[in-house]
Amino acid sequence: MTTTLTPTETQPAPTANGNGSFIGRPPQDGGGRRRDPVPNPGALIQRYKLGVWVGVGGIVMFFAALTSAMVVRSGLSNDWQSFGVPRVLFLSTAVLLISSFTLESARRRMAAADWSGVRAWVNATAALGLVFLGCQLLGWRALYDRGIFLASNPANSFYYLLTAGHGLHLLGGVLSLGYVWLRVRAPLRWPTREPVIEAVALYWHFMDVLWIYILGLLVFWR
Amino acid sequence: MTEVELSPEVSEYTEVHRHPEPKSFLSKWIFSVDHKVIGIQYLLLAVVAAFVGMGLSLLVRLRLVWPDKPFAILGDLFPVGAPDGVMTPEFYLAMLTMHGTIMVFMVLTTAPQGGFGNYFLPIQIGAADMAFPRLNMLSFWTTFVSFCFLLAAFFVEGGAPMTGWTGYPPLSAVPEATVQGIGQDLWITSIAFFCIASLLGALNFIVTTLDLRAKGLTMMRLPLTVWTWFVTAILGLLAFGVLLAAGVLLLMDRNLGTSFFVPGGLVVSDKAIDHSGGSPILWQHLFWFFGHPEVYIAILPGMGVTSHLLATFARKQVYGYKAMVYAVAAIGVLGFVVWGHHMFVSGMSPYSAFVFSVLTMCIGVPSAIKTFNWIGTLWGGRIRFAAPMLYSIGFVSLFVSGGLSGIFLGQPTIDLYFHDTYFVVAHFHLIMGVAAIFGMFAGVTFWFPKMFGRAMDEGLNKVHFWCTFLGVYAIFGPMHYLGMLPHPRRYAEITGVDYLQTGGAEGLHYFITIAAMFTITAQFIFLFNFIKSIFAGKPCREANPWEATTLEWTIPSPPPHDNFGGKVPHVYRGSYDFSLTGAKRDFAMQCNNDESVYGGAAAGD
Repeated sequence: MTTTLTPTETQPAPTANGNGSFIGRPPQDGGGRRRDPVPNPGALIQRYKLGVWVGVGGIVMFFAALTSAMVVRSGLSNDWQSFGVPRVLFLSTAVLLISSFTLESARRRMAAADWSGVRAWVNATAALGLVFLGCQLLGWRALYDRGIFLASNPANSFYYLLTAGHGLHLLGGVLSLGYVWLRVRAPLRWPTREPVIEAVALYWHFMDVLWIYILGLLVFWR
Repeated sequence: MTEVELSPEVSEYTEVHRHPEPKSFLSKWIFSVDHKVIGIQYLLLAVVAAFVGMGLSLLVRLRLVWPDKPFAILGDLFPVGAPDGVMTPEFYLAMLTMHGTIMVFMVLTTAPQGGFGNYFLPIQIGAADMAFPRLNMLSFWTTFVSFCFLLAAFFVEGGAPMTGWTGYPPLSAVPEATVQGIGQDLWITSIAFFCIASLLGALNFIVTTLDLRAKGLTMMRLPLTVWTWFVTAILGLLAFGVLLAAGVLLLMDRNLGTSFFVPGGLVVSDKAIDHSGGSPILWQHLFWFFGHPEVYIAILPGMGVTSHLLATFARKQVYGYKAMVYAVAAIGVLGFVVWGHHMFVSGMSPYSAFVFSVLTMCIGVPSAIKTFNWIGTLWGGRIRFAAPMLYSIGFVSLFVSGGLSGIFLGQPTIDLYFHDTYFVVAHFHLIMGVAAIFGMFAGVTFWFPKMFGRAMDEGLNKVHFWCTFLGVYAIFGPMHYLGMLPHPRRYAEITGVDYLQTGGAEGLHYFITIAAMFTITAQFIFLFNFIKSIFAGKPCREANPWEATTLEWTIPSPPPHDNFGGKVPHVYRGSYDFSLTGAKRDFAMQCNNDESVYGGAAAGD
């Protein structure tokens, strides 16, 4: 799809070529990143996944800030009272890990172009995501019953804050799965499905990693 | 869809998919996904914010020199803050806080990046739009909501917050401390929304720069404007998440009874505050971890525009292009490891202070590289003194003047004396405020013909330049002297402070206020010129009126919906190929191949 307005053969520059930093470097094909400017699924997958990776950078900084606040706050004064995390968190962790496998199954079905299979596995993943959020709420409930309230101690505050922060991000993941489901259902309206699925899958797996990190922080930083 | 005629400058291009143009008013001008419309929306928001912020600074100046004088109109507008038109000290602090917040977030952060970056980054890299256009729209409208929240703080019970743009706790965390209603909550919420908007925007900028560049446009061929928008986006991505976290903690301290930042045993107005064990210093760390990169978020795009314009109007290649790129990157990296220099007086260990001080001094190296390269670019050039060039040279001047005082403040021993004085006010206004704003003036005047297909009045721009340039030095120059007295910041008046009276502070305050009134008046020249030129400026339909080299100058003015009309120009050279030996004319556009630049048998001309 290349149209040339001037003859195709480019001549080497007769004298100094380009600005100082490119002297001697001939114009190259494929210099920029967009080797294929027509947005095909492959290029879009790359772009969407890059977007998620960059977003991951921002989210990591958010939780890094909370972590550093937690470390500093716990060392500041003697009012820090640690407590054991509710057991239901281990159930929720298992649920979340399983959900990553179900989402991978959806990706496999996608590779086999079995779209009804994709939908089924996406549904399963979203359901497991909701179960995870339910378990997190049960965890809050368990703490409430033990008299561990948000403001009564900084350790409690950070527990609620970190779980809520992760929960909100995961809720975003569940909503994205709903969007994936819509796209898979109406392929005529949204022909590009693979990039969205790939991007959501990457985000979802990152939510796993983030949760394992937060759980480790809550269990071991006491 | 009308066919877009691509400039004959483009030696070769690739056909790509075209997007249909939006039809309805709403999707074309309000909820537009077109990066150009979003860029203009950001710019308009910033213009409104800038005039609000400027008005507030005028009130601040008036209160300082006429503390007891009644201003009838203020009595009507703010019956609580200015009873009978006389501004209370609390009202002074609120105006000061809102001035800082609006200027830093809604002007210095939105206009250079959200405004110019949005409009010109995709065009300069040969793309039809940003990587994620709908996300882009979401960024703008989240910023808009954030601005509304901020303005709402003026109109709630208790008025606008008075804790400074840095919002230090416990003042900001304990409602009893300032006897305020929800003004402070609105302020924090506004900042939180702004963080989210900036994070989304940063994501978009980074992916666009990495993924959508035209064929042949390597990273080392990018215009320096694109480089600075790119690095600014990385800074935003890493910094705003931290401010968001801090804002959430502060909001919880205010409203949910947690104790992240509020220390135990605090007594406010003879009343014990029911908090324990938190640390106000923790807020300072989180805030300045964001706050220092924020300074570069404001100034880096200005540096990019300056580099770009100095080369274009001196008809010379940017002196040391690669060094400029590395300097921008170095400033970005160092910006994250110097936040402690804002906290030298917080009781930090002298060893930490020493480390932060040395790292701060290190920033002088890339800054000096940039300054010398700017001068090197001008040196021996055939300079065209058009208005955009004047603003760019003004930028260099202000950057140097403001930067030199930074070397004083970066040393803990000197900062102990200067901290919280007018010396600091002078420093950051010159370098972060006014220099960045000169970058914006340069950008507006330079790109105006491209954006609107009309030219601004050059004569009025020059008048505006000289009034503003002299005006800001008249305002902020004397503040260095006030700082040496030392005159503390944030005092609503100096009545009864003997050493300030005898030191001549009163006269200087008069002078500064008069200079501020003069400079503020001059801004209306620019506003008038800007608005008049959009509708009735001299038509300027030619694609490349400045004889510049980058891709935005190959397309019609104003650019069509898809920028290049479904064609991606190929790029053959770096961004600043001026005055090439043996070339047919004194500039080569990025999309010119060697034959069209140097002629030759095959070119057939």
